[in-house]
Amino acid sequence: MTLAARPARRRSQRGLDDRLFPGATAVSYVVAILLALACVIPLLYMISLAFQSDAEVQGGTAVLLPSTWQWGNIARVFDAAPFGRFLLNSLIVAGLITISHLVFDPMVGYVFAKFDFPLKGAIFTAILATMMISFFVRMLPLYVMFSNAGWLNSYQGLVVPFLMDAFGIFLMRQYMISVPNELGEAARVDGASEWRIYWNIVLPQTKPALAVLGLFSFVFQMNEFIWPLIATSTEQMRVITIALPLFNKESFTQWNLTAMASLLLFVPICALFLFTQKYVVRGIAMSGIK
Amino acid sequence: MSLVDTVPVVDEGTPPSPTRRQGRRVTPLRRKQIITAYLFLIPAVVFFVAMFFYPLFNELLTSFTSGLTDPVPVGFDNYLRALSDPVVIHSFLVTLEYAAGSLVGSIIIGLLLALMLNQGLRGRVVLRTMILVPYMTSIAIVGLLWRNILDPSVGILNTALHAVGLPGQEWLNTAPLQTLIGITVWQESGYVMMLFLAGLQAIPEEVYEASKIDGAGVWTRFRRITVPLLAPTTFFVLLVGVISSMQQFGLPYIVTNGGPGDATSLFVFQVYQETFTNQDIGYASAMAFLLLIFILILSFIQMRIGRRKDLV
Repeated sequence: MTLAARPARRRSQRGLDDRLFPGATAVSYVVAILLALACVIPLLYMISLAFQSDAEVQGGTAVLLPSTWQWGNIARVFDAAPFGRFLLNSLIVAGLITISHLVFDPMVGYVFAKFDFPLKGAIFTAILATMMISFFVRMLPLYVMFSNAGWLNSYQGLVVPFLMDAFGIFLMRQYMISVPNELGEAARVDGASEWRIYWNIVLPQTKPALAVLGLFSFVFQMNEFIWPLIATSTEQMRVITIALPLFNKESFTQWNLTAMASLLLFVPICALFLFTQKYVVRGIAMSGIK
Repeated sequence: MSLVDTVPVVDEGTPPSPTRRQGRRVTPLRRKQIITAYLFLIPAVVFFVAMFFYPLFNELLTSFTSGLTDPVPVGFDNYLRALSDPVVIHSFLVTLEYAAGSLVGSIIIGLLLALMLNQGLRGRVVLRTMILVPYMTSIAIVGLLWRNILDPSVGILNTALHAVGLPGQEWLNTAPLQTLIGITVWQESGYVMMLFLAGLQAIPEEVYEASKIDGAGVWTRFRRITVPLLAPTTFFVLLVGVISSMQQFGLPYIVTNGGPGDATSLFVFQVYQETFTNQDIGYASAMAFLLLIFILILSFIQMRIGRRKDLV
């Protein structure tokens, strides 16, 4: 399994002589477009909802579009609850975890890809096996551990359970197997330190895999729900995914503000996705390859 | 069905790395390599022991006790209780139903989309992007958005029904589990589509060419080539899907609060309730461990079958 050079368009021309019945292509277009619209229309409606007036969302009859776009809702949502702080908390936590994944996952993957040592197979299997350990099994013991350490409701408490990730290690190992050994060997003969070989020679060659890893780590941590729900108790430490349902519970008639608050998380993630699609597509494809 | 939940099959036949393999003797160079490897591994070993295996061990111990405060050993009582508790059994069955429904839905739609997009439709990159957006969206947003859309009084779906003269529906009361299944299918079909697209691209073009020369029609080619060669992908989707459905928490927590009644009390939501609401810690630990055992069994099946490439 390599990341590089998946022949993406190899078969893009097929289909013209493969029609199931006359007009099949036209039907495909219609069905595909309808399904694609079904995917985005609810999210577009959320944008519309975010700019509706209180009267429109409380009127008992939903409206598709606001009669006038209430740009003031943006400011109102920050007045209603400290959403700036929530978003900042999310960014700090997801950012720290992403950096940690980018530092440690390739390091560990490198060792398993390029070194031979006693217990290698056992350690690798043990690390991969952690993928099967559901977070719901770790949830309570972690809560107790962190409570005893005084780490609940702190950044370290939110970050530490996710500092490394077995899937990221697996991904980097697979990629590094295909990185040629010659340059590293040459540097080793020249007396370069092992760390320099890794940092200056091997790591720079894995940039595409690092991009996938960083992107997925960041998006998944921004969207993470269960641990912040358990591990935070004050408004100060709350992340945005937890703040959204709480805010909705407190001001359940103001769906416009809930939708606007949702946009604070949705718009950046969506923009990131649009700009880095290539890597997202690659990452998902890799998750399915055995 | 998130990416981080996926369990790739361990390739046991990995050839030993070509670096330093000069016989069994431990040369100074090889010793240096071994030391380097261990130094690089120290942080990982510390992390996985402290954050995975030690908690796992603790949870196992707790599951054989009455709880955290003044724990009394109770043997297998918590497990026996869970296995005969109608609430737990109900929750497990509801979760299986949720898993089955959302998998059937997202596999049908995902496969359909993959087959259509794989024909080289013009604008397929745009379509693919649109279809994937829900998958990239946080469950918090998805849950709240659908709760609003489905709301009997202020939701836009009922407004639309009224506008065309149909009666309003209270989906979250009349068909709560099916509604959660629908939301999941909406969110995850794009991910399944991507997996099938990757599977389709891996089928060699030559196979199709050869069968065309043999005069096989489109339908025959689909049935005899595409379907069997996609079987490994389908199998992967199924297992990953069941494992991640077993851990669906956000939707019942945000959309239905497990209700109405216990209609959508998915398994991990039940574990969460036992842990933090009822604080029946020993019992909750046993439930979590039963979940772990279930996931382990599924994963071993995946590894077994995944290795037998001739079969799938």
